[in-house]
Amino acid sequence: MNHVPRRTTRSRGPAAAALLATVLGLSACADTGSGDSGGNAAGGETAGSMIVITPNPVGGNNFLELAVEGAEAVAAEQDLDVRVFESSDPTSIQQNVEAAVREKPDVVVGLSFSLQDAFATVPVDNPDQQFLLVDGCPAPQPENVTCAAFREHEATYLAGVEAGLLSRSKKIGVVAALDTPFIRRWVDPFAAGAASVDATVTSTALFVGGDNPFGDPARGRAQAQVLADGGADQVLAAASGSNVGAFEVAASGGFQAYGVDVNECESAPGQVVDNVLKHVDVALASAVTEILAGNAGGAKVYGLAEDGVGLTALEDDVASSGCLIADHPDVIEQVQQVRQQIIDGTVTVDDPAAG
Amino acid sequence: MDVVNLAFVAAVLGSSAPVLYAALGGALCGRAGLFNMALEGQLLWGAFSAVTVSWWTGSAWAGVVAAVVTTTVFSGVLALGAVTWRADPIIVAVGMNLLALGLTGFLLRELLDATGTFAPAGLPGLPDLDLLDGVPVLGALLGGQTLLVPLALLLAVAASLWVNRTSVGLRLRGVGEHPEAATSLGVVVPRYQRATVLLAGALCGLGGAQLSLGDVTAFTENMTSGRGWVAVAAVMLAANRPLLVLGACLLFGAAEAWGFRLQGLGMPQQLTDAAPYLVTLVVLVASRLRVRRRLDEADPVAAVSAAHPEAVVHPEETR
Repeated sequence: MNHVPRRTTRSRGPAAAALLATVLGLSACADTGSGDSGGNAAGGETAGSMIVITPNPVGGNNFLELAVEGAEAVAAEQDLDVRVFESSDPTSIQQNVEAAVREKPDVVVGLSFSLQDAFATVPVDNPDQQFLLVDGCPAPQPENVTCAAFREHEATYLAGVEAGLLSRSKKIGVVAALDTPFIRRWVDPFAAGAASVDATVTSTALFVGGDNPFGDPARGRAQAQVLADGGADQVLAAASGSNVGAFEVAASGGFQAYGVDVNECESAPGQVVDNVLKHVDVALASAVTEILAGNAGGAKVYGLAEDGVGLTALEDDVASSGCLIADHPDVIEQVQQVRQQIIDGTVTVDDPAAG
Repeated sequence: MDVVNLAFVAAVLGSSAPVLYAALGGALCGRAGLFNMALEGQLLWGAFSAVTVSWWTGSAWAGVVAAVVTTTVFSGVLALGAVTWRADPIIVAVGMNLLALGLTGFLLRELLDATGTFAPAGLPGLPDLDLLDGVPVLGALLGGQTLLVPLALLLAVAASLWVNRTSVGLRLRGVGEHPEAATSLGVVVPRYQRATVLLAGALCGLGGAQLSLGDVTAFTENMTSGRGWVAVAAVMLAANRPLLVLGACLLFGAAEAWGFRLQGLGMPQQLTDAAPYLVTLVVLVASRLRVRRRLDEADPVAAVSAAHPEAVVHPEETR
């Protein structure tokens, strides 16, 4: 390996960022928290290396923690040296991507759509470096960028099946952040899944919108309350930081809720049915393995068949998950059948984000 | 889905309260002749300190007190900068808004060890007014709200009485409308302005606490999401009159809540998002038209010259 860390040339960037951070109170810092590579903590020679760049600090963020777990797993398996660069704001994302490129690892891994802009430009200037973007894809996609995407709509459909089976009022709903084709992957399939088991179920979708759709819990709560007042008893909360408000309505008995991406059943104990999971660890590990095997480029899509998405109900530890669905083994059984039908292709889930 | 009912009015009251607090503060500052554009930042700061102290002490009311105290201190930046040192209040306010956004995000990480959202189980929130359960109408309107919601309504009335019916309020208006005349009568203008800015800070603290401990029990980075700017719009729409500020805030709140319900009936989110701003434009245009007509009636010369511009003799033409 021929990587020469040129620390002197980039010490200025992060330092300036740190100064700015002190002024603005935004702590920006490249190169913090170098993760261990599991089996390679001793620092010996490894077969390769990877650098993972996060859009936010990893601590407390379940989604990013899961991604780092996946990175460490594949690193242990493939004997890689892995480091994690945590970003705190858009400026530090760009700096971290550039700093990672200078280290010349075998693959630079970015997490989430927040890195799309950086991954649209930096790879063009560094054609010999391989990049992987998980849960997002830059447009246009440079040749040396591999995208790992998810078929979230398949898992949402399964959650809809549960809602259709569990709803007593025959009214269900979704509180989502914004009305975009991509976010509709958590909206339309929920209604479709419910309708597939009970045609009388009607679904209402509300979108938080406004100035801060992903972090406005008060608006999220107001909308969830509108759904509860309208009689909805099964509501999917797909509004990121605005979910807190929706879970408060669930906790006060307004409806039973569904979480997104990670297990949110503790957000309103006893009132969350299930979660539309994204197995970012599986996707990351599998995509890195493929890139190292020389199978880079294009988009790798992970759905139910690849175990890239799922439900808490389909996990082995559902009994200890704290989710209500654990009390409904009959529903889980039915969901497992539908899952198999989607994998077999006998049931197709329309993708709202498709063309 | 009902479009208007008591639950709807209750929802409007609840979601308008934080905006109303901030807008009352802004209106009082406006009366004192100082444009307070830092409402967004102060509201956010109030929301953050309320949650932090509530979490630390285990008492939501301690959080409210802390929000009032620390936001008053924070508003001292505007009092010092714009009044004592005579800096441009708009520039000071822009700085305060940016500072509050960055500082709360930073302190969220440093003090509470959280990023993005802080909503742990067991974070004490303000209690609902359960006392009113069973009282007709009032129970439905305020029963599910915190004490800070009716307090906001009362403060709007109190502020109106204070400004219009007391001697201190008269001096405050004098400071804003004609500082030289006020000075000549022995009123110390900067002292009135400083005190008003600090009072507005305290009100923003209450508004922030209602947002993060009343509306919801959580803090999210930038959770005010433009509510302070809506308050600024309400202040301008109401021309600094507290009772009209109350009306403007309720109007915005109703437009928003109505938007949510219309979304449920199938209207696109992008359109319902625009509802509060559409309402603002309509009211602004309508109120300007009314003011124009009143001016025309009050000033026959202006009315004639407006109607017959060709008859107006311009000084430079006669020269």
